[in-house]
Amino acid sequence: MTPIAIAKASLQRVVRDRRALFFMIALPILVIIIIGATVRGYNRFSVGVVDLGSGRAGHDLVAALADSSDLTVHAYRSTASATTAVARGEVSLALVLPASMDAGLRAGRSVAVTALTEEASTTQEAAYNAVASVVASQGSRLQAARFATSVQGGTLDQNLSRAASLEARVPVVAVETLQVDARSNTLPEGFSYSTPTMLVLFVFINTLTGAASIIETRRLGMYERMSVAPVRPRAIVAGEAMSLVTLSLLQALLIVGTGALLFGVSWGDPLAAATLVVLWAVVAAGVGLLAGTLFRSPEQASALGPTLGILFGMLGGCMWPLSIVSPAVRAIGHATPHAWAVDAWTALIARGAGFAGIATDLAVLVAFAVALMALATWRLGRRLV
Amino acid sequence: MRAALVIARKDLRQRVRDRSAIILGLVAPVAIAALMSLAFNGADTFHFTLGLVDQDHGPVATALRQNLELPALRRIVTLKVLDSEAQAREEVRSQRVAAALVIPPGFSAAATSSASSALHTLSSVNNTIAADVSRSIASSFVAQINADRLSVATAIASGSPTSRAAVLAAAATDLRIPEQLVQRPLGAHPVKVVSYYAPAMAILFLFFTISFSSRSFFAERAQGLIERLRAAPVHPAEILLGKVLSVFVFGVASLGMVWLVTAAAFGADWGAPAAAGLVCASLVVATVCLTALVIGLARTQRQAEGIASAVVFILALVGGNFVFISTAPSVMRRLALFTPNGWALRAFTDLSTTGGGLHTVAVPVLAILAFSGVVGAAAVRLAYRAVTA
Repeated sequence: MTPIAIAKASLQRVVRDRRALFFMIALPILVIIIIGATVRGYNRFSVGVVDLGSGRAGHDLVAALADSSDLTVHAYRSTASATTAVARGEVSLALVLPASMDAGLRAGRSVAVTALTEEASTTQEAAYNAVASVVASQGSRLQAARFATSVQGGTLDQNLSRAASLEARVPVVAVETLQVDARSNTLPEGFSYSTPTMLVLFVFINTLTGAASIIETRRLGMYERMSVAPVRPRAIVAGEAMSLVTLSLLQALLIVGTGALLFGVSWGDPLAAATLVVLWAVVAAGVGLLAGTLFRSPEQASALGPTLGILFGMLGGCMWPLSIVSPAVRAIGHATPHAWAVDAWTALIARGAGFAGIATDLAVLVAFAVALMALATWRLGRRLV
Repeated sequence: MRAALVIARKDLRQRVRDRSAIILGLVAPVAIAALMSLAFNGADTFHFTLGLVDQDHGPVATALRQNLELPALRRIVTLKVLDSEAQAREEVRSQRVAAALVIPPGFSAAATSSASSALHTLSSVNNTIAADVSRSIASSFVAQINADRLSVATAIASGSPTSRAAVLAAAATDLRIPEQLVQRPLGAHPVKVVSYYAPAMAILFLFFTISFSSRSFFAERAQGLIERLRAAPVHPAEILLGKVLSVFVFGVASLGMVWLVTAAAFGADWGAPAAAGLVCASLVVATVCLTALVIGLARTQRQAEGIASAVVFILALVGGNFVFISTAPSVMRRLALFTPNGWALRAFTDLSTTGGGLHTVAVPVLAILAFSGVVGAAAVRLAYRAVTA
């Protein structure tokens, strides 16, 4: 019963601390919202459009660009604002649709659509190709309408309508895409990305900074006082560990619940997801307990905890998918437990894997949990004897 | 004034002796910026390997291959010739190539007649953008062929006799698609990951000094140091000025060190020194004002820690220190401009992409100073009370 009493006392202290509650509840949700809103569109190029009064031809082109699965279109009021957006990287390139576009095309002239680009940017080069393909496809109707008008007569608008209706029926040289696999290596975009990764990040940071309370208890001589009573060091260590595991579980459950109810995150196989959450809570508690024996002052824990937590999170794929970094950085990342936890969430959420599908990740996390808990128990126990 | 300098010197000495201050002010921002630079080394550019399976070997297939090897495309695509579609599928599946393009047998013959045919791009769910770009390149290549076919079909649909199809097809080969895309470089450089995150992390950890400084103020007050100072012929304003001065000097030193280290070791581009220096200085002024505000609002060391942490994380999240704010939705980009760090990051982005000078940072610096003015005005009243209480 003693460990439970110790855990209860430690938990009560945290619940009364409004600052700790901010970091446990409000901050993770806020970060999930911001990262979820930002980490999307990796599979699309953002393209700016400035319409200087292009008329119908310009409107049709903008509609075709918006329909393209490769592009996200943003409208700008002036060339200057579009130029700034390109320079800042808000869009990969910006198209300037000239005032004379529709009239020029109707008059039989060729019209150049300017693409404002950065220098030496291959991302922009790729976006340029995607836009060029849409422009060419759009221009083919005009070519057809003008040709028909010149050889057979009729108005350009009539022939444009004819060309549009024929487009789907004329035998063409098509370009078809065949997907050869279905095994996604990354979490889906948006909140399905930010919620599991921030769960991994914040549960870890929270226990790391939670080490401050262990240090404070140590400093105040509370452990020594407890040792005077018939309380064994093992019970004290077990009490502190239980308190950290409970806190981590509460925070993880809050994030899982918020993700499912507010952000529509589907966490995958319930048994596998629950095992992962519990295991991660134990890993994080082990780290918190160990930090409580390593840091010298509560100030050090509050200063270094978030820094180390962010560094581990970055290495382990909480801030960006490890699939986009070099193989060497990916390998280094797997020295952290974070990478294995994120891999497991990816398998559950993106690939619909079950318990067997994340067995390796779980085994590695068990190894982390056992090693961290053993080391922390040994160090804390030694300080108490 | 002398008393203020003595207090500032004492605070700074204490700060330098405390290793966690050095870690927060220098080691952590440099380490995180370095990690980001390492992680995204090469990710600033878009380049992929495209597998090519030519089962046709005809003139149109050869022209397509030559098109893929043009210098402009070579910057984004490296071709890897593969023997069969089965091999291409395996290469895409195992991610040895990002995507593959298969030219089927009889493609050239079909392309030069009016028969339908198809090029195939093989794509992986893990790299859809490479397949999309390959598809765009191939689509641009076949666009003229399809435009010519559509021209003949439209002419016939508008009344030309079907018997003239061959004549019309011959005439259509002289046509060119009337809408063309023309590239105009702006003279701006894309922002490098390290050039964004070096200042972003430097600012984040500069903000951490708010918590550190306000906490130390209350620790000293709890020890009765402030009362003892007031017993001496020292004006409360001097005590406050001393505290503020130490935050300013530490902030400037921290930002300056991170600037030097990240520029020298990782090639971070902070922009023109005078302009970047001005942004850093105005940001430190904002940090000083925020510190004074936290001291004014809090009553205890614990409260100071709590308020400072909330202020720092909210500013960092909204201002764009954790995410590249340029790619965020426009509402978030607008929200960022309510924070001094959001303005500073905009200034650093503009400096590194356009190579601008003082005129580039004029508006951001004024905005940061305006923020500082508002926060400072509230802080002076509240913080003065904290010193005299």
